[in-house]
Amino acid sequence: MYLNIDAQKEMTYDAIVVGSGISGGWAAKELTERGLRVLCIERGRDIKHVEGYETAMKAPWEFAHRGRPDNMAAEEYWAGMRTGYTANEEHRYLFENDSKNPYLETRPFDWIRAYHTGGRSLLWGRQSYRFNEEDFMANGKEGIGVDWPVRYKEIAPWYDYAERFAGISGSKDGLSVLPDGQFLPAMELNCLEKHVKSEVMKKMGRTITIGRVAHLSKPQSWHTALGRAACQYRNMCMRGCPFGAYFSTQSATLPAAMKTKRLTLVNNKIVSEVIYDEKKGRATGVRTIDQNTLEVKEYYAKIIFLNASAIPSASILLNSKSSRFPNGLGNDSDQVGRNIMDHHLGVGASGEFDGFQDQYYFGRRPNGVYIPRYRNWGNDKRDYLRGFGYQGGASRSGWGRGVGMEGFGASFKDDLSKVGGWSMGIGGFGEVLPNENNRFTLHPTKKDKWGMPIVVFDAAYGENERKMRKDMANDAAEMLEAAGLKNVRSYDDTSKNLGIGIHEMGTARMGKDPKTSVLNKNNQLHDCKNVFMTDGAFMTSASCVNPSLTYMAFTARASKFAVDELKKKNL
Amino acid sequence: MMNRRDAIARVALLMGGTLSAPSLMAFGEGSSAKQVVGAAFSLTSAQKTLVAEIAEHIIPKTSTPGAKEAGVGPFIEMMLADCYKPQEQQNFLDGLADLDERATKAHGKKFLDTSSAEQVAILKQVEKDTIELMKSANVQQVKVGDNVDKEVVSSKKLKGTPFWRLLKELTLFGYFTSEQGATQALEYVPIPGRYDACIPLKPGQKAYAL
Ligand SMILES: Cc1cc2nc3c(=O)[nH]c(=O)nc-3n(C[C@H](O)[C@H](O)[C@H](O)COP(=O)(O)OP(=O)(O)OC[C@H]3O[C@@H](n4cnc5c(N)ncnc54)[C@H](O)[C@@H]3O)c2cc1C
Ligand code: SF4
Repeated sequence: MYLNIDAQKEMTYDAIVVGSGISGGWAAKELTERGLRVLCIERGRDIKHVEGYETAMKAPWEFAHRGRPDNMAAEEYWAGMRTGYTANEEHRYLFENDSKNPYLETRPFDWIRAYHTGGRSLLWGRQSYRFNEEDFMANGKEGIGVDWPVRYKEIAPWYDYAERFAGISGSKDGLSVLPDGQFLPAMELNCLEKHVKSEVMKKMGRTITIGRVAHLSKPQSWHTALGRAACQYRNMCMRGCPFGAYFSTQSATLPAAMKTKRLTLVNNKIVSEVIYDEKKGRATGVRTIDQNTLEVKEYYAKIIFLNASAIPSASILLNSKSSRFPNGLGNDSDQVGRNIMDHHLGVGASGEFDGFQDQYYFGRRPNGVYIPRYRNWGNDKRDYLRGFGYQGGASRSGWGRGVGMEGFGASFKDDLSKVGGWSMGIGGFGEVLPNENNRFTLHPTKKDKWGMPIVVFDAAYGENERKMRKDMANDAAEMLEAAGLKNVRSYDDTSKNLGIGIHEMGTARMGKDPKTSVLNKNNQLHDCKNVFMTDGAFMTSASCVNPSLTYMAFTARASKFAVDELKKKNL
Repeated sequence: MMNRRDAIARVALLMGGTLSAPSLMAFGEGSSAKQVVGAAFSLTSAQKTLVAEIAEHIIPKTSTPGAKEAGVGPFIEMMLADCYKPQEQQNFLDGLADLDERATKAHGKKFLDTSSAEQVAILKQVEKDTIELMKSANVQQVKVGDNVDKEVVSSKKLKGTPFWRLLKELTLFGYFTSEQGATQALEYVPIPGRYDACIPLKPGQKAYAL
């Protein structure tokens, strides 16, 4: 008896953070820096900064298939194959094996996961934009989903805070559609991009700017103090960055949390549910299953942050059943698992350019151009709601052009060794509206090898997204043509499903009314105040900009709130 | 205006457009189609020699190493075994046999027994025929993402990627990503350390590898 209490004490922390990805890393940093003893529980293996990046320094010829997925890998990474790149040899070891982690699709969903220390912070494209004022108000104005309980001005200081710490390189453009932030020096546009930028501004009045990315273009003292260094422009970031030059859990938030000596990280423990104490009316801890031994173990804390990413975090709620919450913890509204959003992409245009034959570049910039939303903005009115932005870039073609060229032999080889012509492509990132019927559920009987119910997706793009895609393809081609590009081709790849943007969010939306939302404006479960969710689950609408910076800002804000409430003994 | 929209949605016929490296993988079915695993594939020693010789015709040794030195022959065999479906493997074997048939018909000997000039002439004809075949099968190269092109076949005339196309693609891929090709035919800069956005191209400058 006595022993048991001791053991329980040993497993008791001030806070538990579930997941060590982008948002979990921030929760761990913020909560430890504010004085809490934190346990971060990660379901996957540990990947150590630098030494864990197995392929980071490999040359192309050191990969058995020079990077391409072989048939066996294609079979195992069946969802990853849908992106066209995530199952590649260079970085496959950082993605999840889909055969070992199966899911089901009533309507297809492209689910791209990374289960290990750092989660997808090691793999993300690092594009980092703020939501604008309108993004937080559109739902309310248009009667779509529910209104955000938060407005831009409340989150703006937290964007400042997140940008400074993460290190975001970008240019200040003074646009209300794309609010400026605390930027490190911007990366430069190459000569074709500069040309297209000025033509598109002149002829169409639209802005093209350099992407805002979480790369240290010029590290500041607080970055170098964590061992981070300047970007080396090798653009092999998806293999892990040995220089700590882009923001990841490993390079930034984990070292900061470790510095406090108040963080414990445990790996290979899958959180299966939150333990809810009916008498106390609060959560007391989490139950875990060891990934290798299947051992079940409980950990306890005063507050719990769910940061397992949108689908797993909501799964944990759905799996946490009690007599108070027969449909899952905090799910009185029946909104848990619903309103899955993403950004839709796979639509845009590309073209070739005749000029600048004597111009080249040096280095591989891990970034491209960004075209902020202009549709349904100001006086522009379309037959769909919301808008889209574009990401893309210009480059000179390499040897790959030879595949489509006629000829072979010495002069052919010589030609391919030289620099090819210029081309530029831009692809749209469109906003997806929240829709209650886009959801996932837990399968009633099928379980994975750890005994967790299998996720079943039932979600798809709607009419609004389909309408928007027409503009996304046509506008892209029009802009490139306006800038004088030739052979402009637009594309709209309809083989992709929701999820392909890898920006899944919205499964436990925030709102003012507990009847129609899961979380309040402080990322607390309405009905179980000591449980917080600050990964993509909380998103009430999606905007058209990449979401992770917004998760960082909300995580930092919710962490401060949680610690303040703890101090006030409200939790 | 109406037609213009259609016009910009056009797709380029194969063999004409530019291809980026990642496009080298997708052909035919949608990307979600499952691959067949474990199909055994290997070449006889005569076929191995033949493949190495044709690859060398495509990328010969010049002031820089050629396909043979870069090990492109064995690379092609390995890639076909590991990364392709039985249909492509069969097309490849048929294509090799076809070369000998063509040589026998024209010169009364096997492909490798003909002169270098005769070999080149045969390969040129194979390339022409392949282009015609793909045109008649209406093979189109469509962009499906910034860096991903996919080829779609809208007629049933073509079963999988044709031999010449496989061979050429794998030769270029194998060569320019090999140590010899990447560091000698191209300029290999593993860690640039900086980014210069707009600089003059030096006369005769090689393209960067990767
Ligand atoms: C190729 C790629 C490109 C991207 N590009 C961008 C971009 O440019 N800009 C942008 O904003 N976003 C981008 N994203 C998306 C971005 O990566 C995600 O939005 C972000 O990582 C989500 O953070 P998260 O904390 O919610 O989840 P993750 O970073 O996915 O981390 C979740 C963590 O929780 C762990 N976990 C899951 N379930 C459990 C459990 N039951 N118990 C314990 N631990 C668990 C996982 O192992 C993982 O470590 C990209 C993603 C990918 C893959
Ligand atoms: S480009 Fe920059 S961030 Fe990416 S791997 Fe290289 S140094 Fe790291």
